[in-house]
Amino acid sequence: MKKKLLALIFGLVVMFAFTACGSSDSGDSGDSGDTASKELNVFMWSDYLSDDVVADFENETGIKVNLSYMNDNADSINKLTAGAGDEYDLIMTCDAYMESLIKGGYLEELDLSQIPNSENINKAYWSEENQKYCIPYLMNYIYVVYDTERCPIEITCYNDLIKPEMKGQLGSIDGARNLFPIALIALGYDPNSTEESEIAEAYEWLKKYNDNVVAYGSTETNIVNGTISAMLTYDGNTAEAMASMGDNNTLTVAPFKEDPVQLGFDLYVIPKGAKHMDAAYAFLNYITDPEVMAKNLIDNPYSCPNDAAVAAASEEYRNGPAFDFDYKENIFFQEDVGDAIKIYDKYYQKLKVDTGE
Amino acid sequence: MTASKGRAKGTNRLPLLAQAGPVSLWMILFVTIPMLFIIFISFMTRGTFGGVEYTPSLESYQTMMEVTYFHIIVKSLGVAAETTIACLIVGYPFAYYIARKPPATASRLITLLMIPFWTNSLMRLNAWMLIFQTNGPVNNFMLKTHIVDQPVTFIFTDGLVLLGLITNYLPFAVLPMYSSIEKLQKPILEASADLGAKPSVTLLKVTLPLTFPGIFSAIILTFIPALGTYVITDMLGGGKVLYIGNIIKNQFGTIRNWPLGAAMSVLLLAVTALMIFLYSRFAKVEDMEVV
Repeated sequence: MKKKLLALIFGLVVMFAFTACGSSDSGDSGDSGDTASKELNVFMWSDYLSDDVVADFENETGIKVNLSYMNDNADSINKLTAGAGDEYDLIMTCDAYMESLIKGGYLEELDLSQIPNSENINKAYWSEENQKYCIPYLMNYIYVVYDTERCPIEITCYNDLIKPEMKGQLGSIDGARNLFPIALIALGYDPNSTEESEIAEAYEWLKKYNDNVVAYGSTETNIVNGTISAMLTYDGNTAEAMASMGDNNTLTVAPFKEDPVQLGFDLYVIPKGAKHMDAAYAFLNYITDPEVMAKNLIDNPYSCPNDAAVAAASEEYRNGPAFDFDYKENIFFQEDVGDAIKIYDKYYQKLKVDTGE
Repeated sequence: MTASKGRAKGTNRLPLLAQAGPVSLWMILFVTIPMLFIIFISFMTRGTFGGVEYTPSLESYQTMMEVTYFHIIVKSLGVAAETTIACLIVGYPFAYYIARKPPATASRLITLLMIPFWTNSLMRLNAWMLIFQTNGPVNNFMLKTHIVDQPVTFIFTDGLVLLGLITNYLPFAVLPMYSSIEKLQKPILEASADLGAKPSVTLLKVTLPLTFPGIFSAIILTFIPALGTYVITDMLGGGKVLYIGNIIKNQFGTIRNWPLGAAMSVLLLAVTALMIFLYSRFAKVEDMEVV
């Protein structure tokens, strides 16, 4: 009896082991002559691409899209730097890492003639250097939103967030390169500083910020259920929170006067040595089509660098209260800080460890 | 038992291989080798984009000894200990109660204890969040009955984290203790009473010592996972209340310092090994009451 059971388990293990290794090789016909690829392996954020759009693409082209999801920006960097071409054909990353990725030679150069729809992308959001290597997908403002009825003060700058009145009121997204820039701006420094002394000062500022924060993450849920009354968050999360409050929406984007807000991009790159380049191009051209992207924006109401798509998008999306603020041009970008990332990580870690003491 | 059977057959090792082989292979492939790799990584340096540079260094262990980390480690040990003690205090009388019921009732009670575990633990944690959130039923009830004038913030506090840990690990404490108490022979307790011991003395001098293996298993089965957990602390603590499990998770995630995360995992391994060692001193392995 026992032996049978063991044999069964052993059999299952062997089966599992083989299926686990087998899946990534199947249907790999990308480089065999002129037969077109039948699959596309994409690594990106979850809940960030409409299922309908993927299904339509599969129907139109006959290419099967295999989506895998990342939990963290670091995941895609880890994949790219480890050589992801065998596994993936498209990887999502953000603008902050582009410089290092290009310098490191981890990316395939793009042939834009194969992506004619990329014409629709606003060049202001797509630097000349980046045009050779990436296609911007969606973008996120990281700004402050508060509840006009429950928040004790009106927030017009980052320094308002560390006022004692805000204790127990604040929710926040997490991550070193999301938190440190607002502290650096509040202190009057470059948001992409590489000076350790400035970053250390920013850390002291963030300790006060941290004292006021109730929770990191799930900002849109926490503001709707009343746990927090103000938040540092993405515009897409805000759109969700506002939509779920419906007619009773009391949330408003903080009327910032001078402090710039962060604008980040999520973009697609092709990892060096990707096996299904043709499928990757087909997908990039499909997703940059104005009608397709407009459809995608229904499920993913984030800001979009594709001007034609925004024009084609629903009234509801374009007039969304989450995008109703007048400092859209007063922005800064997350730049690649090179080795200084270690300094950021050191202080970010310290911030996380000191918490609650 | 199985080992002696194999030996009796002398040179024929095949049955032994068939019985222990697959498990050994599994353990070597998926436990031993990854564990050795973790130990190896802990002595390396971190790369710029995370990952590992294969330059030997003791940096991670030095960092771990810094005051702030040391603080977190002590705090985590403290919370794991609190969880364990609370589970024992609540769990022991409960296990005793179940063990003294007729078998049919006992198995029904055990089933009741297990029912919450038929759902995913994330579901249960989300339920906790819904119940205790600012406009959740608990706060609404307290506001309506004028126990408080302002909603109380329960979620994202140390208290709720502790409550979450206790409810999550209670069954792991109850089951081994139940199995220990159930084996306790009535005549021994009667003998104790006949010899003039008061019930309280019988409890302290007879029942507790005889069920100690079960208690110790309960300690191991709650303390070790409670020390390493990060999902419960992350969700109920809002990413603000950090314990060693969260710190390790962050090293492999947002912070990208794998060697430090590995070094901290090695520390957890050491604590676990120490507890198993203590256990083997106090009780024979065969007595380990793991249901």
